[in-house]
Amino acid sequence: MKKSYVSITLWGLAWMLLTMAQPAGATQVHAEPEGLYVHQIAHLFFIVSMGILIYWLREWKLVEQKGWRLVQYSSLFFILWNIDAMIVHYLDEQGAIFQTINAGTDYASLASDPASSGPALLYYLAKLDHLLCVPAIVFLYAGLRHLLQQAQAAKSSDSAT
Amino acid sequence: MTLPLFPIWMVDLAGSSLMILFSFLCVRLARRLKNQDQSNVIWTYLLWLCYALAAFAISRSVGHIAKRILLTAGHNDIWNLLRPYSGSINSLMFVVVASITLFFERTWKVYQQISKDQRALQEAHEELIYLNRNLEHLVAARTQELALSERKYRRIFEVSRDGIILVDGGAAIINLNPAGLALLGLSSLTTDGERIRFSHFFAAAEEWRGIQEALERQGFVPDTEVLLKTDRGALFPVLLSGTAETGDNGAIDSVQFLIKDISQRKAMEKQLLQADKLASIGQLAAGIAHEINNPLSMILGYAQLMLRGEQEGTQQYADLKIIEKHARNCKTIVEDLLSFARSTQTRRTVGHVHAALDEVMSVVRHHFELDGVHIEKNFGAQVPQMILDAEKIKQVFMNLIMNAKQAIGRKGSILLRTRYDAAHARVSIEVRDTGAGISREHLPRIFDPFFTTKPTGEGTGLGLSVSYGIVKDHDGDILVRSEPGQGSTFTVLLPVTTTRGAEIDNGG
Repeated sequence: MKKSYVSITLWGLAWMLLTMAQPAGATQVHAEPEGLYVHQIAHLFFIVSMGILIYWLREWKLVEQKGWRLVQYSSLFFILWNIDAMIVHYLDEQGAIFQTINAGTDYASLASDPASSGPALLYYLAKLDHLLCVPAIVFLYAGLRHLLQQAQAAKSSDSAT
Repeated sequence: MTLPLFPIWMVDLAGSSLMILFSFLCVRLARRLKNQDQSNVIWTYLLWLCYALAAFAISRSVGHIAKRILLTAGHNDIWNLLRPYSGSINSLMFVVVASITLFFERTWKVYQQISKDQRALQEAHEELIYLNRNLEHLVAARTQELALSERKYRRIFEVSRDGIILVDGGAAIINLNPAGLALLGLSSLTTDGERIRFSHFFAAAEEWRGIQEALERQGFVPDTEVLLKTDRGALFPVLLSGTAETGDNGAIDSVQFLIKDISQRKAMEKQLLQADKLASIGQLAAGIAHEINNPLSMILGYAQLMLRGEQEGTQQYADLKIIEKHARNCKTIVEDLLSFARSTQTRRTVGHVHAALDEVMSVVRHHFELDGVHIEKNFGAQVPQMILDAEKIKQVFMNLIMNAKQAIGRKGSILLRTRYDAAHARVSIEVRDTGAGISREHLPRIFDPFFTTKPTGEGTGLGLSVSYGIVKDHDGDILVRSEPGQGSTFTVLLPVTTTRGAEIDNGG
């Protein structure tokens, strides 16, 4: 059952890659959008892998231990960050929504029409992606530290007995 | 709507720096975890994940910082040159991190399996240690029990009053306890370097064959009376039992024999038989004597009465004398019979056996010396006075001394020896002669009434029987030791009783 989730995910990715490819001749031309697509797919792969990690941590009830619970939070924040980054990359491609004023100066700002202020605001907030990825790495650090303490305590307990 | 980009840049720069910092801190922690237990595959997995995340953090954060610096410095062209590489490396790092993350399930299962195996190994190890320790204790306890048991059975073997003999399949003696050694008269189990065979101690070869057959047939021999002989040839009866141990091929490997010396029991049985026989005869004799005594007295009385009215020298006087003489003889025999049957009155007083012996000697000495028979006396100074019927005891001594004289015939000596055995509180009186001795076949019968080896008319065969009865009546015993041609020794054993004033009347 658990294996089938992984298989379905991998097969889904393979299907997406195959169906989204354009017809080509002997050698495929890799035009500019391909880089973005690859990057987005990499983000998606990142999300899936973190999701699977959370699944196994919960399935095996490792989250009952504080260290692994913190690792779980780290994975969750990495998922959120990936979603955030994907949104940013998507909105980056929507050039008509906003424009940058005073680019290259300290007073640079993001300007948009009143009609597209919502997406512009979303883009602005999404650009603050480190507010998600830094907590993710901090949670991972905290989780590892707790696992280390646990391991040290177990080792000293073993040596004591 | 206008939103300043500066906060975004600040968060970008600070966040990128923090990402690099914490990713390296994560690597450091993961390395410490790994060092904690090198064999832990989960820590290895986390280390690799941290390495990938550090690479991801560097690639992304360095890209972001470089972008901000280059764009701020107005080097848009350089950034445009670097941007595809930065983006591509970022994409690759995502894939690497994601790929490593996906290995968690497999890694965890491997870790679980290893942990399970380790636990099983540890449990097996602990169990082995536990068993090993217990085994040591168990073996130690068992060894102690065996040592105790061995000591116990060794002691039984050593102190047993019965002989315990272990022989091999060929009857060679393997082991023998001290009682067995004493019984068989052995000092060692070998002679001329060879083991002594148990079969050699059987007086009758057919008895050994019978035992062998029984062992082969049923594996044991129940209590069986056999006659053994010591190393010097002395015969003695034993009660023998044995159990065989057979090997895988069914042949007898060894046999444990238990031998019980029953010489004393046999002697006692003979004595009992003798006593029974004498008692029966005594009862019979007493009955006859009682019936005959009165008519004999009448015959003797009338014969003597008629003699008074007859002149000496007449035929009738001579006939009456013959009647009187034979009537007296008969009366003597009857009195002896009554004495033997203890039916005559017994009067016990304080007396001394030396006085009785001296009195008897004074009667017979002159007569004996005429025949060249010398009487020696060796009286023990410690012999005390005792309660006895002096007349009857004198009769015993007279009988024994007269028997000795008759055994000697002419020329010889008789030794009268007395001793006091304080330990058993008894006096022994020996009458030893240098006469012809008593043959082995006659020895068991000498105390039988009417048994005599003398010619007809010279003895009634009641002397020793009567003596035996008198001694027994005194709670004593009479023993005889004799070798044909070497003379005989009669020993009277009398218990010393000092209860003064107790005159005991027996019989009637």
